[in-house]
Amino acid sequence: MSDFRAFAEAAFSLSAISGRPEALSGIRVIELATRIFGPATTDYLGEFGAEVIKVELPLRGDLMRYVAPQGFFWKEASPAFLPLNRNKRHVTIDVRLPEGKELFTRLADTSDVVVENLRAGTMDEWGIGYRQLAARNPRLVYAANSGFGQWGPYSRGRASYDATAQAVSGFSAITGFPDQPPVKAGFWVGDYTGALFSAISILAALFARRRTGEGQMIDISQAEAMIRTLDWTWPYAGLTGRDRRRAGNQDVMLPPSGIYRCADGFTAISARDGEERAALDRVLSGDPGGNGETLTPDRVAAFAAARTREEILRISEEAGFSAAPVVGGRDQYHDPHLRARGTVWELDDPLYGRIDEFGPCPKLSESPGRIKWTAKPVGYHNEQVFGGMLGIPPEEMEELSRKKVIGTWADVPGARPPGPEREKPAAKPGAGTAPR
Amino acid sequence: MSDFTGWARNATDPARAASKPEALPGLRVLEVCPGHFGGMVAASMLGEFGAEVIKVEPPGGDPARTYAPEGISIGGTGLPFLSEARNRRFATLSLDSEEGRGIFRALAKAADVIVTSESAAGMETMGIGYTALSAENPGLVFLSLSTYGSFGPDASRRVKDSDILCQALSGAPHIVGEPEGAGPPKPHEAPTRLGNWHGWFVEGLWGAFGVLAALNFREATGKGQFVDVSGAEALMKFADYNITWMHTAGRARERVGNFDPAVFPYTYIRCRDGHTFMAAYNDEAFESLMTIIGRPELVKDPRFATPSLRVRMENEKALLSILEEWSGNLTADEILKAVEDYTSKKSGPGAAVVTGRVNRPLETLSEANWRERGCFAQIVDPVYGDLLLAAPPWKMTGTPARIKSVCRPAGADNREVYCGLLGLSPAEVDSLSHRGII
Repeated sequence: MSDFRAFAEAAFSLSAISGRPEALSGIRVIELATRIFGPATTDYLGEFGAEVIKVELPLRGDLMRYVAPQGFFWKEASPAFLPLNRNKRHVTIDVRLPEGKELFTRLADTSDVVVENLRAGTMDEWGIGYRQLAARNPRLVYAANSGFGQWGPYSRGRASYDATAQAVSGFSAITGFPDQPPVKAGFWVGDYTGALFSAISILAALFARRRTGEGQMIDISQAEAMIRTLDWTWPYAGLTGRDRRRAGNQDVMLPPSGIYRCADGFTAISARDGEERAALDRVLSGDPGGNGETLTPDRVAAFAAARTREEILRISEEAGFSAAPVVGGRDQYHDPHLRARGTVWELDDPLYGRIDEFGPCPKLSESPGRIKWTAKPVGYHNEQVFGGMLGIPPEEMEELSRKKVIGTWADVPGARPPGPEREKPAAKPGAGTAPR
Repeated sequence: MSDFTGWARNATDPARAASKPEALPGLRVLEVCPGHFGGMVAASMLGEFGAEVIKVEPPGGDPARTYAPEGISIGGTGLPFLSEARNRRFATLSLDSEEGRGIFRALAKAADVIVTSESAAGMETMGIGYTALSAENPGLVFLSLSTYGSFGPDASRRVKDSDILCQALSGAPHIVGEPEGAGPPKPHEAPTRLGNWHGWFVEGLWGAFGVLAALNFREATGKGQFVDVSGAEALMKFADYNITWMHTAGRARERVGNFDPAVFPYTYIRCRDGHTFMAAYNDEAFESLMTIIGRPELVKDPRFATPSLRVRMENEKALLSILEEWSGNLTADEILKAVEDYTSKKSGPGAAVVTGRVNRPLETLSEANWRERGCFAQIVDPVYGDLLLAAPPWKMTGTPARIKSVCRPAGADNREVYCGLLGLSPAEVDSLSHRGII
């Protein structure tokens, strides 16, 4: 036991992370996407060392920049935009213009992965889809993230957001209480779930590429990703011809596991096997041998109602069943456990200063993920990427700016940098089309 | 465009997957996750892409086989297990005896990946933890799945990882469901669990992601590693901007029912045949929607004129009533048609009016679209009969995922695994079986 603790302490020390190699270093990813589904996909890859170049339209960029909770911008950036776009280089290209297509193609030529989430077929129509890019770069892995896929009856013209996927998949119909309407999860679960499926398939395709030398196109629909997650819903429907019903806060598979109201909030109580159910029986009956009475949700609810989250946690640990408090963002933000794990990541950003965000999820002992910087204003890295990486001479960049093919931020919250930088955008080369 | 659609279908139709190569052939995965659905998901992700997965169950079978909705099980195996048991071989092994642990070490030496939901510290004590196994097999990728993770102040909390624990700690239920109203709270005015095992599922997905990232590193360096995934953190990662919001605004997100604090309209609306999703939150899309419902004047209404105004809760509620006045007499399909008729003539932000029926599972199944795209697989298994399963969601041109088998009874592949892989004789396998080790 102590051996493992010693190993884990050394292997997962937060202070050692910056000196360790990254799992996906050397993989270049181009993102042409907006909002969440595409950007989250590349964020996950970027956390583990992939070099992500986020391509936005000049001036206003990704529309997610303007999704501001309660209309609140922090240092001119939306707190909802930042955590989806870490470790990325932000460039602008108007890919609808001929010079923009050419520039995008040049980027894709040097890349391993392209991720897009436009409506099906749009990229192909623009001449920068998988077929055109792969003809030049056959090693390219191209993830087409969409609502309903690249082909099939629903693929044409139907737009999709997270909650479209929650709705059409059946997810919302099985979430919530039996006597109440279906529930839309209050977070964008349909986007993140699709994004993680997308990222997994990109890694699988890169693995295959080592053997075959060839890239491929991946068609991933967020609705279909949600369908895949609904566990026994489908075999149940197939066998019984019935809909799985909403079960409120009960996990009907592992009764009486569920979420219960207690004296100071809510707590999850979990009994996964006979041992844990016996322990719960002993506690509920007050009989050291248990009394074998059915462990109904009502009995658990009565037990929980009179106790605090902390008391229930302590009782569960002593007795041998499982419990955990239902927590929110405030609890998480202040949780020393999550900070010790880098799950609440304490970032010193070169532009924004200190900002804490969710860190990488899987913790890798040899090649750990990390947050190096958070999102940046529109076109912030144009010079670095177009000048430095592609070697485009300054005159040509000025020409592209003049034609509005590239350019930096519009002078609006969400697009522009915080105070001091904003006042001298012209000092940034390539910022020709910047503020009004 | 139609040219592209035809090409895309031809190139990625899952019906043709069987004739194509796989992404992860030759990769051997040991799954040691008794009673744990998330571990099955992690292994399934790798198995669908062609990894050779060996599920190691305790003799007598995985307790997860007993999870059964309304008691429905087939051949002693419940539906949740059957939904996630694809593409595996099934071996049994008791880790309680030294002999059993010796066999496990031999298996681990021949494996590329271990997926386990058993305590990493506990396995170390038993001599089958990561440090012991990696000393013998330095390329081993060892995935540990648990509620709190394997390190940090709470890592030693004694819990048996489950979906409900992961959900509670993720912060997801805290922002799902109805807030408390006036008067004594009703049962549904509570943090609400996601109805499926989304906590467990996402724990498995992040596990598979971590393994694949680690394998990329191994290809470059030859080194394996320990991959630590907390199921709570896995779903936490999806809870939007929770932490950033706390840091920048000092505010925590709370439940708002089917409303949304950052974008509106972005909600379910009542319609004649149930509910449908309706979103049109940027200015251009909002204008489109107001035109569609015949209320263009509302674009200039002081309650709705900007995105910031529209996300004030009292304005969200007012707008919902206005939308439902319109939608109440229409079916979800009629609403979809009205939206498509309008947005098909638009492009850019003004076309971002998004809708879709809130389907019951049987409604989803009744739509030809999903069957046509191979999202479901109806498979007749020799042991478990006729089963409807969710197929791998990806359509891929090169190395597509696929379902090759549904499930086997516990230990059904013991002989193949122990004789074929470890070179034991049939007599030795019989002896292990008699002594309850396999």
